Amino acid sequence: MIEMFEYDFMQRALVAGVFIAILASVSGTFVVLRRYSLMSETLAHSALVGVAVGLVAGYNPLWVAVVAAVLAAWLIEYLRSAFSLYSDAILSILLSGSLAVAVIIVSVGGSFNNSLFSYLFGSILSVSYEDVLTIIVFGTASLIFLLLFSKELYFIAYDEEVAKTSGIKVAFLNFLLVTVVAIIIALSIRVVGSLLIGALMVIPTVAALQYRVGFRNTMLISLFFALFSVFFGMGLSYYFSLPSGATIVLCVIAIFIFSLVINKK
Amino acid sequence: MQLNFRVPIFDVKNLSFEVRGQKILSNISFEVYNGEYIAIIGPNGGGKTTLIRLLLGLEKPSAGEIKIFGKKLANFKEWYKIGYVPQRASLVDENFPATVEDIVKMGRTARRGIFANFSKEDKEYVKDAMVKMDILHLKDKMVGTLSGGQRQRVMIARALASSPEILILDEPNTGVDVKSQHRFYTLLKKLNREDNITILFITHDIGVIADDIGRLFTINQKATICNDPKKTLSCEDMSELYGIEAHLLHKHKHEH
Repeated sequence: MIEMFEYDFMQRALVAGVFIAILASVSGTFVVLRRYSLMSETLAHSALVGVAVGLVAGYNPLWVAVVAAVLAAWLIEYLRSAFSLYSDAILSILLSGSLAVAVIIVSVGGSFNNSLFSYLFGSILSVSYEDVLTIIVFGTASLIFLLLFSKELYFIAYDEEVAKTSGIKVAFLNFLLVTVVAIIIALSIRVVGSLLIGALMVIPTVAALQYRVGFRNTMLISLFFALFSVFFGMGLSYYFSLPSGATIVLCVIAIFIFSLVINKK
Repeated sequence: MQLNFRVPIFDVKNLSFEVRGQKILSNISFEVYNGEYIAIIGPNGGGKTTLIRLLLGLEKPSAGEIKIFGKKLANFKEWYKIGYVPQRASLVDENFPATVEDIVKMGRTARRGIFANFSKEDKEYVKDAMVKMDILHLKDKMVGTLSGGQRQRVMIARALASSPEILILDEPNTGVDVKSQHRFYTLLKKLNREDNITILFITHDIGVIADDIGRLFTINQKATICNDPKKTLSCEDMSELYGIEAHLLHKHKHEH
């Protein structure tokens, strides 16, 4: 398996993949516990609007995707607090709405081609140096935030109201969390693809939860599952010429099924 | 005993709360002093939980003022002085990845800065709280595997971990068996008498608490403050407060 990393593009993919695995699983723990799983799917689709704008206007799609996903996250939080709408309905509306906007932008701009396809399903081959740099810079900042506030976010996930009454700035931290999740999702679509990133964020944590261990261990198990899936998925994808994002997601689903079966009560 | 200038923990004046024009609480005034042991009773929908949510800043009053330790609620920052155990304490998400210790540690979270991890001192407070609630032996257990009574003690330990001056509990005995309830009231009394923690709690166990509590607040949109609980707990007063439910309550009391 070593020789595949002799290629420059595989080295880039590896660095990006490891970063994404760490980011997706650590943030995924909070996403799942806060019941934000569906939100990750919606943000991934919103990021596509950014990709579309980037492709048509000639900016780096990844950067614009980060902006689009963050704006969508804020819009969701605003709609949740300002209107009495069901939150899953809001997510569903925004999900299809974003996709529709992205498709129209790309088709009007005449760039409905392979590059959009690679953002939908992820493509290891197309990870550039600039992408790796973007992932490292934004990813490190997001990770630092998550680790700094992990005990507060954990408390909020368990009991938002009691956290609030104990003096924790719940509204502010919620806002930061969705912002960071949006950034991580946008960064991940290069490697895993926007249709598949939700899986990498949610499934490792759901698999880890099956082991019924405390918070820290759940996060560590989830991290291990995500890293393993990225490595193994990339290996399979290289040797059998399979699409990288889909292969990684199938690996993590296999781990989930395994975890579910061996921990059955 | 040291004589001090008695600033009440809670100073509530002319508090009213309404939702979409419907009055939930109307013109309520009371004070809660350090060391008190107060029960709040009243019919369902009478506004007991709303009152507590107002005291904790979770709802905004339509009129009136709440002062906590002499400060206006909006300016109050020392929330660690108030330990809150919500109604659903015993109904936790069974799959949530938390050991008993993880949960009790949450009580220290707000006292730590964002950059700091839990210190030795925090760990001592967490341990003390678990010892007080007799759950130290459960510290590595997943909270989802505990009984209702055990979970309740975990939630109180979490509130105690921040070393609060007052504990506010909303129907803490929901989902807890009778034996655990007795144990629970003994613990509450001990916290009040030995650790000088002020206690304010909502309950339906009127018969059980009468001997222990110092004052009784009856809430049914309006508040009646009673300084001699045993007197208030007569059938007539209960009838007035609860309406038709009083007979059931009274009968229930005698059955025990």
